[in-house]
Amino acid sequence: MIAVSLLLVLLALLGAPLFAIIAAGALISFISIDPELGIAVPIEIFSIAEMPILLAIPLFTFAGYLLSESQAPGRLVRLTSALLGWMPGGLAIVSIGACAFFTAFTGASGVTIIALGAILYPALAQAGYDDRFNLGLVTAGGSLGLLFAPSLPLILYGVVAEVNIDDLFIAGILPGMLMLLSLAAYSLWMNRGNRVPLSDFSWKEVGSALLESAWELPLPLVVLGGIYSGLLAVSEAAAVTAVYVVLVEVVIRREISLKKLPGIMRESMVLVGGILLILGASLASTNYVIDAEVPQKLIGIVTNLVDSRVSFLFLLLLFLLVLGAFLDIFSALVLVVPLILPVAAEYGVEPIHLGMVFLATMQLGYLTPPVGLNLFIASYRFNKPIVSVYLATIPFLLILLAAVIVITFWPGLSLMLLG
Amino acid sequence: MTRRPAFKSVLEKAELLGRLLENVLLSLLLAGMIGLGASQILLRWSGAGSFVWGDEAIRLMVLWVAMIAGIASAREDRHIAIDVLSRFLSPRGKSIAALIVDFFTAVVCLTLAWYGWRMVEFAIEDGDVFFGGLPAWIFQAIIPAAFLLMGYRYLVWFARRLREVVTGQQSTMQGAQP
Repeated sequence: MIAVSLLLVLLALLGAPLFAIIAAGALISFISIDPELGIAVPIEIFSIAEMPILLAIPLFTFAGYLLSESQAPGRLVRLTSALLGWMPGGLAIVSIGACAFFTAFTGASGVTIIALGAILYPALAQAGYDDRFNLGLVTAGGSLGLLFAPSLPLILYGVVAEVNIDDLFIAGILPGMLMLLSLAAYSLWMNRGNRVPLSDFSWKEVGSALLESAWELPLPLVVLGGIYSGLLAVSEAAAVTAVYVVLVEVVIRREISLKKLPGIMRESMVLVGGILLILGASLASTNYVIDAEVPQKLIGIVTNLVDSRVSFLFLLLLFLLVLGAFLDIFSALVLVVPLILPVAAEYGVEPIHLGMVFLATMQLGYLTPPVGLNLFIASYRFNKPIVSVYLATIPFLLILLAAVIVITFWPGLSLMLLG
Repeated sequence: MTRRPAFKSVLEKAELLGRLLENVLLSLLLAGMIGLGASQILLRWSGAGSFVWGDEAIRLMVLWVAMIAGIASAREDRHIAIDVLSRFLSPRGKSIAALIVDFFTAVVCLTLAWYGWRMVEFAIEDGDVFFGGLPAWIFQAIIPAAFLLMGYRYLVWFARRLREVVTGQQSTMQGAQP
């Protein structure tokens, strides 16, 4: 079995699709007990159709894709610069805020760098910011906001860990803000010499930018307001968001032509389908892993080695950092969360807190070589050698790492708003 | 290849048709999920209750989207993958790695298709139904069908890599449809 696992790891590293690796692991495990049991794998994949919450994933992703294809990113930047452009370092803060807002809707799939980076990167250069700083900022910004509702990884964690997604949305606010504010503080510090403000503060500009964004601004309110007023379930809020965004961008603003719409629909569904397929395959492998009592064995091993909660959290953090460097967030979520959830419970780590630690650490994975997705997208998008993207991103990576350490060892930050 | 133009043009037509069908189905399913999802809410708010079959239909649509998107990703070889080692390989090494990976993926997909078909057979034998009367196997059949097509796609990729490895020529159409 160990040889088979190693072979699968090798195939994964060579670039085999992850759904196939996970499905192969599950198939081999079940078939080795009894060839007839292989049927468990398609049955588990079919159980995708038994989880009502999953509807939220395609609908939110589609809404995010549609927004990124419209002029909404530009409007968002204009509004934030009207509000914050007057301070030194203001445009950097603008970038951070706009990226976070956008990523919450697009689920850190690289869309943020493509949609917003194209606007922010040249704007930052024009405002006299250092090129290396800009490259790092835009790259790091591409996964910022992962902890804010309704981000896709947040929903997927709720599905896998069987945690209330409404609670996760609330829990993400403070840890997400911490990451945002640390980057903002660093940007201000780095640009303390750059005294040239982007623009003067003008109520008129704020007013007209507000008016221009009047259709998009209520979106977070639609999502969060709908959910927390009890009017909408999470998947229903996703349906409302999708309808709303189509109405605004296609019917009212007409920034997306009807001709372009099917292409966007298809692209967003291809992304979502890939993630759901990995989820389906992992449902089968998790099923086997739990039948084989792997979590119990893991608890036995870990409790022998680690005696306190603090040292467990430390070990967890290290493990997740390495994991995030190699595995994409979705595969890591569906494969690893079912394994560590019971172990973490043994040390009194709340599932919601674990979720914040997990997602925040995986967010760093977007920025760590060798496989950090944002690094490649930024390198491709801004036509920079990958090594200079690595180097530019390192300071941002370290700051976010500090924030992740705080999130890990201060559970209160994640749980405070839940009371 | 030039020896069997008729066969090839049939394949090409099937390709085009398949691609069109994928795109249309993905868009229709998404539109269906949005439309049905929104009408369920409106109906509930208006106090008229909601379609009894609505939620079940939406959940099945999510599965269908996943499977059809799987076929589309296989066509473009765009499934989520790690791909660290191949960066360090020579062009020929890359082709060989891709050859192995594509063969492995094809075998996994075809095995899944086979077991998926077993699942469908059981559903037919047991007379499972959805929506209070429709045979369940119609909706489950997407699983073996999609994996069969994905397996076919990866076999096509495999054949192309094999040609690369044997002739030593790099494919210029990487990322395009086979």
